[in-house]
Amino acid sequence: MFAVLIDQFWSLTIAGVALGFIYVLISLGYTMVYGVLRMINFANSEIFMWGTFGTIITSRDIFHYTQTSEPARGFKLALVLLSSLLMSMLVAGLTAVFVEFVAYRRLRAKGTNRLATLISAIGISIVLSEVMRLLTASRPVGAPRVLEKIILTEIWGANIRLDTIITIIAAAIIFFILERFVKLSRMGKAIRAVSMNEDAAKLMGVNLNRVIATTFLVGGLATGAASFFYVTVFEYTKFNIGFTMGMAAFTAAVLGGIGNIRGAFYGGLTLGLLEVYASAVLGTQWKAVTVFIVLVLVLLFKPNGLFGEAVQTTRA
Amino acid sequence: MKMRNYWNLRDWGAGIWERANRPKRVAIAITTIFLVALLPFAGASFLATPIAAYDAVLVYPVGVFILMALGLNIVVGKSGMLDLGYVAFFAIGAYTMALMGTHTGLNTWEIMPFGIAFAMLAGVLLGLPTLRLRGDYLAIVTLGFGEIVRLVVLNSTWSKGPNGIANIPMPPDIGPLKFKLDDQKVFFWVVVIMILLTIWMIRRLSVRRPGRAWEAIRQDEDAAELMGIPTLKYKIWSFTLGAAVGGAAGVLFASKNLFIAPEMFTLNVSILILACVVFGGIGNIWGVVLGAAILGYLPERIRFISDARLLVFGLVLVTVMNFRPDGLLPRKKREKAIVKKEVNA
Amino acid sequence: MNKKIKSSLAIVTAVAVAFGIASVPTASAATKTYTIAYQGPLSGGEASTGIDEQNAVKYAIKLFEAANKNIKVKIVSVDDEGDAGKAGTVAPGVAANKNILGLVGPAYSGATIASLPYYKAAGMALISPSATRVSLTDPTSADFGGPVFHRVVGKDDLQGPALAKYATKGVSNAKVFVFDDQSAYAVPLRGYVEAGLKKVTGATLVGGDSVPKDATDYAPTIAKINQSGATVVIYTGYYSAAAIFIKQLRDTGSKAIFAGGDGVFNQEFPVLAGAAAEGSRVTGVGGLAGVSAKLEADFKKKMGVSSGVYSVEAFDAANLLLSGIKAGKTTRAAMLKYVNAYKGKSITGNTIKFDKNGDISYGLFAGFTSKGGVLVNTGIVK
Repeated sequence: MFAVLIDQFWSLTIAGVALGFIYVLISLGYTMVYGVLRMINFANSEIFMWGTFGTIITSRDIFHYTQTSEPARGFKLALVLLSSLLMSMLVAGLTAVFVEFVAYRRLRAKGTNRLATLISAIGISIVLSEVMRLLTASRPVGAPRVLEKIILTEIWGANIRLDTIITIIAAAIIFFILERFVKLSRMGKAIRAVSMNEDAAKLMGVNLNRVIATTFLVGGLATGAASFFYVTVFEYTKFNIGFTMGMAAFTAAVLGGIGNIRGAFYGGLTLGLLEVYASAVLGTQWKAVTVFIVLVLVLLFKPNGLFGEAVQTTRA
Repeated sequence: MKMRNYWNLRDWGAGIWERANRPKRVAIAITTIFLVALLPFAGASFLATPIAAYDAVLVYPVGVFILMALGLNIVVGKSGMLDLGYVAFFAIGAYTMALMGTHTGLNTWEIMPFGIAFAMLAGVLLGLPTLRLRGDYLAIVTLGFGEIVRLVVLNSTWSKGPNGIANIPMPPDIGPLKFKLDDQKVFFWVVVIMILLTIWMIRRLSVRRPGRAWEAIRQDEDAAELMGIPTLKYKIWSFTLGAAVGGAAGVLFASKNLFIAPEMFTLNVSILILACVVFGGIGNIWGVVLGAAILGYLPERIRFISDARLLVFGLVLVTVMNFRPDGLLPRKKREKAIVKKEVNA
Repeated sequence: MNKKIKSSLAIVTAVAVAFGIASVPTASAATKTYTIAYQGPLSGGEASTGIDEQNAVKYAIKLFEAANKNIKVKIVSVDDEGDAGKAGTVAPGVAANKNILGLVGPAYSGATIASLPYYKAAGMALISPSATRVSLTDPTSADFGGPVFHRVVGKDDLQGPALAKYATKGVSNAKVFVFDDQSAYAVPLRGYVEAGLKKVTGATLVGGDSVPKDATDYAPTIAKINQSGATVVIYTGYYSAAAIFIKQLRDTGSKAIFAGGDGVFNQEFPVLAGAAAEGSRVTGVGGLAGVSAKLEADFKKKMGVSSGVYSVEAFDAANLLLSGIKAGKTTRAAMLKYVNAYKGKSITGNTIKFDKNGDISYGLFAGFTSKGGVLVNTGIVK
């Protein structure tokens, strides 16, 4: 039962960390919005899905890579990857702002119950996913291989691959930048102010609509970055991928303590590792069950998630 | 605070009801029930559903959705707990019916109490440890529970895994009323009776101690606790009653569909039922009934759009929520939670 | 983009028609209109399977109408979302619509079982292009679909052993790892593959897994494969997941042979997987491209998209019903009798003839190997 885990421990761990970092970035999309609005942004999974098409459009339609073309190298590689990343972030960021505008803004102005907003967000996520389904004729879309998956070295029997390393390092950097933005920038301070006390922030002259739109934008940018890494690693997307990834990332956000940026970080990594270990030991069919049982146990002892205790000070 | 002047169907209806005296009320109720019972005969009118059979649509999704939405409304609407795993109780009821129906000689009505009991038991087992959690944390835990139930039946052999269970018996005939495949009126009447029983139960409870306790918990749980209401106990009660209704709906659904498989009990069902509750008017029984009826019926009615059906469904959700955020038939103002900010003048 | 505008116009028109007065088809005296139905998932997450199959049915109708100027054939799209719960709601409606002479589908075995009671009562012929569950044609099973159910696809207990044989062909002392995608299609098929492996000399089963079909991260499964030292990996599931998996497997440096069943059989598979698919072995009857490149080109010209999974089967099934219409079988009973007694050629050249349980007589699976981005037919697996 544990033979696989022991034998393949480092391979699994590296895969879990890379997956975990993708979760971290998507969780940011949930946690930022939750921090400010105290609401689950149900449409974040579809924002993620739209983001994946940003990368595909860039490499396939702008740089004309195909399934059979040679991977890029050197400067060209950096150019394609960077513009794909920016495109994904842009697409996801704009989608997030669109979601805020269509599904949240009016309801927020009315100050109505949270469930109406939840259903409105569910409605818009159905719309986003169905529009993409119609645009892609329900087919899966393959991404051309731009980044060659070279095995750099081997540590303790585990292959260290270029794409994994890039994902881990770049995701960590993006996470760090976003965290600094929220901590230090003027807008970030406004976001945190709204998160702590909306009315007081409003009295202090904070433009609420702008702050909330920015929060969605930042969450969308993080989610879009995750879309880019997802496509780079898995080279694939489909109109329905959002659901699974979104659910996992949302779980990660809750695990870490939703509304807490650092919580998203630890929650994402914990979930990534938990998933691969559970799959290896119990079989992949029990992965989701294990994850939810662990989540329930964590919440029983720490009702605000692993890092939820410092809510007031570190909330997004 | 000025009330916005939109069509107020709820007050219009409530007005008629309140002005009426007892015999008048009985007359109204009987006429309404009679008219509803005649619904399956309206298959040739503009109500007819393209492709799907109209009388079957009235049973599932419409009838079963109404039943489930009423059950979920006890949890979400009455006591204010967000439950995203309601499908679990539906699944437990359905699998009880499927397994007992194919392995024992019992019929649907004899299995019904078992289905309800197992669902309630699951409600208590889930509720005891988790109902201390609040808001969105409860939402994710219940969501997880729903997925766990589905994955367990998917990955187990006693439930025949993904193959599902076929040949579930139909209910035995009730006197001259026969359950038939090509004519599902009797099924519809049975659902209507179950819906009426559920409504009766909710209305009785609402005006008594549990109803008041739920109301207090929904408005402010801490204050309720301080006032000496054993909040956990009442929360579990609400959860369990909701589960019972879900279980009953599951038993009936399995007996109607004759075949069940794990793929029918996904998270989407929980979300859809929640949408029914909020769409119609959370906390208001008639709103919930209306919401579930519309959301169950609409996708079948617009089948001719085939490809863009779900898209339209999503657009309807967004639009209605934005323009009627309290649902089509909202609950009375005084019952609304005070936790929200003032309505913008 | 123009196509999108057109389709949205079509939607608007459809709305107008349905809410307005039902339009009466004005057939001229010479042309007669008949109706058949297609049932499968046309919306929701499973939609790609159904849309591909329905396209093949529509294509068959187009060819038929071009050849028979005085007959028009209407198709009723029955969307069950691949969900047996929905199937139980739509099936009674289809059964009650007496215009429908016969039905291509249902696409999924679960939806088929849920629909069967209604179609049996209506005596309507069903020809499924993709419901492969064994119990559907097993008279001793609760799921038995006779006499209305037929299928033009080989069932799991034929495909399982064929897949096991083909996957291990030329591999001495094969160590085989089998995994499925948790779906109602894949789990039973995996059972028959594992049973089939027992009959392959020298082959041993070294491990297995069950991965949800919407998964994209196969790292744990790959860790198991590498740990088990498998030389052959068999996947029962669909082509898109297979493409993601095989890329990840090759990226870890594994050289194990990859094989899949008819769910993987799609020319999109080597396209999606790129170089990683090279040498993969797939059993199936093949898409239209597997039949002839000319046919595929014509399909693409007429339908605007390439043919997909089970398109050959759906095409065959539709042609069968259409030939019934041409032979003047214009009642359900006559059509059912016609289908039961049918003997003809499939597009792949096999003889279609149903046994008394509704299975086709051939049920042979061809082996395909991926070469240079195309799945190439290597002949029937014996």
